[in-house]
Amino acid sequence: MLFAVATLVALWLETEVRLWLPAGILFPNLVLILTVDLGLKQHNGLAPALAFAMGYATDALSGTHLGVNAFMMTLIFLLSYELSRHVWVTGKIIGPLTVALADLLNTLGVMAITAGVASVTTMKAPAWRMILIQALITAAVAPLIFMILDVGKRALRLPVRVAAE
Amino acid sequence: MQDPKDTFLWRNRVALAGGVLLLVAAHMISSGVKQSDALGRPEGVVAEIMRPFQAASSRMASSAADLFHDYFVLTKAARENVHLKEQIAQLNQRQATMVELELENRRLAELLDLKEALDLRVVAADVIGSDATGMARTLILNQGDGSGLQPGMGVIAIGGVVGKLIATSHSASRVMLLNDHNCAVDAFVQRSRARGIVAGVADDGVIMKYIERTDDIKVGDAVVTSGLDGVFPRGLLIGSVAAIQRKGPGLFLNVSIQPAANLRKLEQVLVITQTPPHLTDSGTS
Repeated sequence: MLFAVATLVALWLETEVRLWLPAGILFPNLVLILTVDLGLKQHNGLAPALAFAMGYATDALSGTHLGVNAFMMTLIFLLSYELSRHVWVTGKIIGPLTVALADLLNTLGVMAITAGVASVTTMKAPAWRMILIQALITAAVAPLIFMILDVGKRALRLPVRVAAE
Repeated sequence: MQDPKDTFLWRNRVALAGGVLLLVAAHMISSGVKQSDALGRPEGVVAEIMRPFQAASSRMASSAADLFHDYFVLTKAARENVHLKEQIAQLNQRQATMVELELENRRLAELLDLKEALDLRVVAADVIGSDATGMARTLILNQGDGSGLQPGMGVIAIGGVVGKLIATSHSASRVMLLNDHNCAVDAFVQRSRARGIVAGVADDGVIMKYIERTDDIKVGDAVVTSGLDGVFPRGLLIGSVAAIQRKGPGLFLNVSIQPAANLRKLEQVLVITQTPPHLTDSGTS
């Protein structure tokens, strides 16, 4: 429920704020941050379905191919999940770093699926710069979103971190 | 007896569920799921849930912009005296409202002129949201299939062609803009009738493809719809030729197009609900 509401709020912000910003692309990918949080902290059977649903909801308001964001968000969830199981390092840097890498993967993945792999390999320097800045902005916002989610989980008396049994 | 939580399936349930959902998503992408399909139907529900919030925030943002403007006016007036401050604030509020009304009136009048000049059945719609990720060039409109809109219909604005509808719900719809890399519009150069396909490119821009090297084309030439794609009627302005790259190998020229409509500042658009006649598979028009 918390993630469903968070996703709707994130999508609302992304569709509305982007409309008013002069450079619309430089806005953090909030749904991606939610997905990484799921992958890093929520290790139950419902989590992949939530990641898929968040991607599917994004598909309803973005892009031209239904399923692209659902695919990428599920993939990013799985990679974050595997990362959190195998990396034995904790600290405040892991979350934002994962978000930055996930944002890069998401942007390039969506481009490759919708416009072909050639569109990624032939991309010019300004486009790469924009993608990197976008990833850094998303990573910079990530700690705040993680904190808000943790506050929400505590308010609803949900465990902040759900480990696999 | 073995503990059910100690089985392979239970231990790897997260990865297995994720893998299955990845396959479902890959199937949706590869088979091109439409809104009418079972997998595509919830898409409209999400759009319907979001629409009232988006419409409300669009109105709030307009009001907030007015308030922001008024704040500065009030600060300036406070330096003089309270009476003048109130008067100026009131006048400015009225003025801002009137300017906003005048601008809206002008835009609507221009849209009405365009509607009458086109002599087509069109539905006016407000832009209430942009693409959720910013990676595709799409906008959300406040009219949907309840107003007769259907995916595939052409969208125009005061300047010219804007794009095509790609999805509709009852009272909202999404339009794929001309500069999206998946958009393609059959067009020709108005002066020389050289025909090609106007399409978006991945790193933001519009090009005209399949213009042969021998075709007569110059910078500044107007590019209009050909009416051959069954979406737009013939002769709608798309834009003008911005640059022509003749160097390099290949059969075709590399032509950049400057869209006539300002795709970054769209507020109201017209959706063409009357599709031009075209041949069907059975050969009837």
